[in-house]
Amino acid sequence: MIKVLFFGPVADRVETRVMDIDYTDGMTLHDVTHKVGMLYPGALSIVSFIAVNQEQVHDKQIGLNDNDEIAFMAKFSGG
Amino acid sequence: MSEPVRIQEQDFSQDAEIAALKASSKRMGGIATFLGCARDFSEGRDVSQISFEAYGSMALAEMRKLREEAISKFDLLDARIVHRVTTVQAGDNIVFIAAGAAHRAAAFDACRWIIDELKQRVPIWKKEVTPEGEAWVTQHP
Repeated sequence: MIKVLFFGPVADRVETRVMDIDYTDGMTLHDVTHKVGMLYPGALSIVSFIAVNQEQVHDKQIGLNDNDEIAFMAKFSGG
Repeated sequence: MSEPVRIQEQDFSQDAEIAALKASSKRMGGIATFLGCARDFSEGRDVSQISFEAYGSMALAEMRKLREEAISKFDLLDARIVHRVTTVQAGDNIVFIAAGAAHRAAAFDACRWIIDELKQRVPIWKKEVTPEGEAWVTQHP
């Protein structure tokens, strides 16, 4: 299972904070991003950062592992 | 002694943070601090409250990295970073950074660098509550 997390403005748009996606062999970050985009059209337009297991990633072709945690995040505004 | 990097709901004591920083080394000749607090006015609107949300585990890890990088980059003797994640009222404390070095220039430079990097790298978001409703904040300079 892949755990997908949404925070702040992104969570408001998708109206949920967590979603589980079945893991399949060979799954990439692109596959998850595509699925999220299909389920929540418009949500990705404010996503500026994606993290896999709490580390920012830029390459959507990276392979995922079962139980990975993926976060979709808008621009930060702490401080 | 409290952890030098923390995310917490409750307010913090600047005196306690500075005392903890000073206790780490007697070679410290300069301490620079930054206190971020909640304004009651933003982008032309009154602001009554600010709510914070964080990706806690990543935010804390990134803040710890920031501290380590700052200590190395500016040759600090120690540094502390505390960020509140809760709902605050105008005037309340939000974030505190303290950088201690042998001399003032490094402390000033590091303090500025840490808060600038924190705003860019740490997954925390703020939502302002105004008479017109609530709105997530985009970055301020």
